[in-house]
Amino acid sequence: MSDNPVTAVILAAGEGRRLEPLTNRRPKPMVPVANRPLLEHVVEAVAAAGIDRIALVVGYRQERIRNHFGDGDDWDVTIEYVEQSTQLGTGHAVLQAEPIVDGPFVVLNGDRIVDADVIAATRERVLDGTYPTMAVTTAERPREYGVVSLDGDSVVAIEEKPEGPVETNRINAGIYGFSPAVFDAIRQTHAPGELAITATLNDLAAADDQGVTAIPYDGRWLDVSNLWDLLTVNAALIGNEMGAEPDSPDLGNSVAVADDVAVAGNVRVASNVTIGGSTAIGSNATIEANAVVENAVIFPDAVIGAGAVVRDAVVAGNARIGPNATVAGEPATVVVGDAVHHSVELGGVVGDNAVIGGGATVTGGAVVGDDVRADAGVVIDGRVESGAIVRRG
Amino acid sequence: MCGIIGYIGDLGADRTGSDGEAHAADGGGGPLSVGEVIHEGLRNLEYRGYDSAGVALVGKSSGLTVAKRSGEVNGLSVPKVPDATHGVGHTRWSTHGPPTDANAHPHTDCVGDVAVVHNGIVENYEALKAELSDHEFTSDTDTEVIPHLLEEALAADPDADLLDAVQRVEGRLEGSYAICAVREGDDRIVVARRGSPLVLGRSEDATFVASDVTAFLEHTRDVTYLEDGDVASLEAGTVSVFHEGESVERGVETVTWEADAAEKGGYDHYMRKEIHEQPEALRQTLAGRLDVEGGDVDLDISFPPGFLADVEEIQIVACGTSNYAGRYAAQLFEELAGVRTTVETASEYAFGAGRSPDRTLVVAVTQSGETADTLGAIRRANAAGARTFAVTNTLGSTVTREVDGTAFIRAGPEIGVAATKTFASQVATLVMLSISVGRDRGALAAADARSVLEDLRGLPGAVQQVLDEEVQVREAAREYQDSEAFFFVGRALGVPVALEGALKLKEISYDHAEGFAAGELKHGPLALVTSNTPVLAVLTDGARATETMNNVTEAQTRGAPALGCVSTSEEFGTLDVSFEVPKVGIVEPLVANVYLQLFAYHVANEKGRSIDKPRNLAKSVTVE
Repeated sequence: MSDNPVTAVILAAGEGRRLEPLTNRRPKPMVPVANRPLLEHVVEAVAAAGIDRIALVVGYRQERIRNHFGDGDDWDVTIEYVEQSTQLGTGHAVLQAEPIVDGPFVVLNGDRIVDADVIAATRERVLDGTYPTMAVTTAERPREYGVVSLDGDSVVAIEEKPEGPVETNRINAGIYGFSPAVFDAIRQTHAPGELAITATLNDLAAADDQGVTAIPYDGRWLDVSNLWDLLTVNAALIGNEMGAEPDSPDLGNSVAVADDVAVAGNVRVASNVTIGGSTAIGSNATIEANAVVENAVIFPDAVIGAGAVVRDAVVAGNARIGPNATVAGEPATVVVGDAVHHSVELGGVVGDNAVIGGGATVTGGAVVGDDVRADAGVVIDGRVESGAIVRRG
Repeated sequence: MCGIIGYIGDLGADRTGSDGEAHAADGGGGPLSVGEVIHEGLRNLEYRGYDSAGVALVGKSSGLTVAKRSGEVNGLSVPKVPDATHGVGHTRWSTHGPPTDANAHPHTDCVGDVAVVHNGIVENYEALKAELSDHEFTSDTDTEVIPHLLEEALAADPDADLLDAVQRVEGRLEGSYAICAVREGDDRIVVARRGSPLVLGRSEDATFVASDVTAFLEHTRDVTYLEDGDVASLEAGTVSVFHEGESVERGVETVTWEADAAEKGGYDHYMRKEIHEQPEALRQTLAGRLDVEGGDVDLDISFPPGFLADVEEIQIVACGTSNYAGRYAAQLFEELAGVRTTVETASEYAFGAGRSPDRTLVVAVTQSGETADTLGAIRRANAAGARTFAVTNTLGSTVTREVDGTAFIRAGPEIGVAATKTFASQVATLVMLSISVGRDRGALAAADARSVLEDLRGLPGAVQQVLDEEVQVREAAREYQDSEAFFFVGRALGVPVALEGALKLKEISYDHAEGFAAGELKHGPLALVTSNTPVLAVLTDGARATETMNNVTEAQTRGAPALGCVSTSEEFGTLDVSFEVPKVGIVEPLVANVYLQLFAYHVANEKGRSIDKPRNLAKSVTVE
């Protein structure tokens, strides 16, 4: 540690309500893609960037995180935990790390997957004594993010989700480099409502003596904002990580498995199953005979019944899809909170521990909450609240 | 009952740039001193006993330095001996003599040349002590005879060295022991083992010896297990082993599990960490062993042809939590395998009359594989000629060498004294064993086996589902924590779970808790029931929920609050608190147990108890 004083502070305290029902039982950073939690992909990138000390800011459902990462030895890093007991914004979250950070440090989001290079570049920059600094990337729809205006290498301002037209597609990549001086700056930031780190960065960018430098970045930047992003991010990661292969899954006869499939250990796949591309199957999951699973994220312990079809779908932990049930569909309209999203490629989402009866149909874009019990043969569309019982008739 | 460690070597050379954790304690990056390595090892062993601790260090010119005291390992101040080349350490859990400074190990001879640490019991110490009447004893321990015997042996023969002396003395000790001895002016550690665990750690520049590999796992993964009757001489990087005076070879094995699994990670207590590890531990327990389609399991075990078909009785021998796992399994051996099955308290076990040894299978259930009571029972079964089998968590443990076959539960290391994940993995392993025996005997149809196998596959997910409800359990624990007593009831598979639930609560909260068969409540214990004695009931599949609820109602009408673990499909509206158990058939009571673990944890935590090291208890009880 003495030769590398940079700590990575990873923000993983948030709930991620837009990913309900998947986040009813786990924090968003623990949602798995390619069979590993989003946060594990982040921790790996941090380790690959040459940082070996990590402060995880945890809060909501933090046992899941502590349980998975322990003290970090599996990733050759030292992980310490700090708790953000109420989610009062990213600035507040960073502030929680103050007691265990004593030199320049890097801040990242625990639910956004980035390349190790940009983390390494941020680390180099703070080691050189240049801070604050932030990575800036580009996005097709910048207005959904924090739009960054630059003057040369200097950040002029960050505007969160601007409503009017924007002049640039540059956005805040969510990777920052600071010295401990930022803690005082956060405390001095006056912001209405949540204390966002970007509010502090705006203050620092506006200050005469300081300025915020930008690190341009055009690498991988995978954001899981909505349920359907899970499928695209999963597909992208599986495509990239081929070769990280199954601990001898138990495969039945005549099983067809596409090349870009990630199968975790202790998965049971019965006879005549077809597993199509872009699919991840978590530990101890079961795929019964004749089932078809394609472009799907299957969490640990889930059971896909015989003859079931699961396509463009997410099946969460320990959920049971009955025999001959169908979770698949055409591009659909999905409602998340107050927002309506049209033409989304999402066959359906089945929450943790939900049981979908035999022959039932989950129509395109339907979101079934956790602990839902759906009788055999029912047709489910729209959103089914957690714990509901869906009866026939 | 103790943990011992010895270390000889030089860890200074290979430590720059590697794992910086161990020397973070002394704030510097310098080489680790002998005292630091031993102190760290003792911390790792503290779960084996923690009422006294001590070290003996041998320096090139400073001779032998001993420091010991009653109290926890962290309270021990290890002396600075800059020229120390090797040393031994000990963490004690009292058996002979109270935990005092004098009774703490190491023990020395009259002149202070020889120091010994010991785990186990010297049964004939009184006779030996009488024989050593001209020696000055300073403690009440059985151990102290050993350094004095060594002193005698060295005095009797001027040519004898420490190795000769230990070899001579070793034959005179009766009982069980693992000992490590050092002597001023001798640059070796000499160790001996009979009946108590002792493992050597090997690396190029250093040699370790300890009761358990966790003591030195941060330094080396290459280990040599000693056998009963072995005496070994350790030097930095080299080891010579002798058995009955002859030089023998003992192989080197590599420990594959992670040291970090034995660390607490982000949790306040190992116990809570281990409770939360249960879904993963169970996935490991089951991995690759279930053939759902074929309706069978593969435990990689074998019995002589025809043995299982003819077996008349299975006797399960175990203690404490393992005993309750055995009671859970006994019902399944009868139901699924069609074999009469009894569960014996290991310390009480005798191969009783009226049995045919060649038609009896004796199954030892022991997490550590070192439980002295259970080993004693297995030895009695072996002596009677019965076939023996072990279900354990610990590769290379003593029990595995004493039985005819072993199934490992694969739960990973468990550090909290209160067993949690190992109970779950023991039961899951025993359920698989009952299926294996049932199928082998033709007593269990493939279709029936399949349905149990599907329930087993559902177990990790169901346990995770319960863990997600921890907040509800914590609230219940806060509400009822100040009760006078707690009664746990169940029927059928709910009985062992009720017993285990009560044991967990008493172990870590020090509250009065008892488990009963629910039907027994009205035959006596009901007299203890008041509005201040909550009743916790197992109301799931496999536990005759409706009948049990009748007994719970009897307690409720006497004012007792009632808490129940209830199957998803059932509802008992009169319960004060209802914990939902997912549908997984005959393993539902095992899932219900997770609620009881969390309840015990949160009651104890609210009361600020020493959860990972409850008073008077140690993790593996290696004395009878």
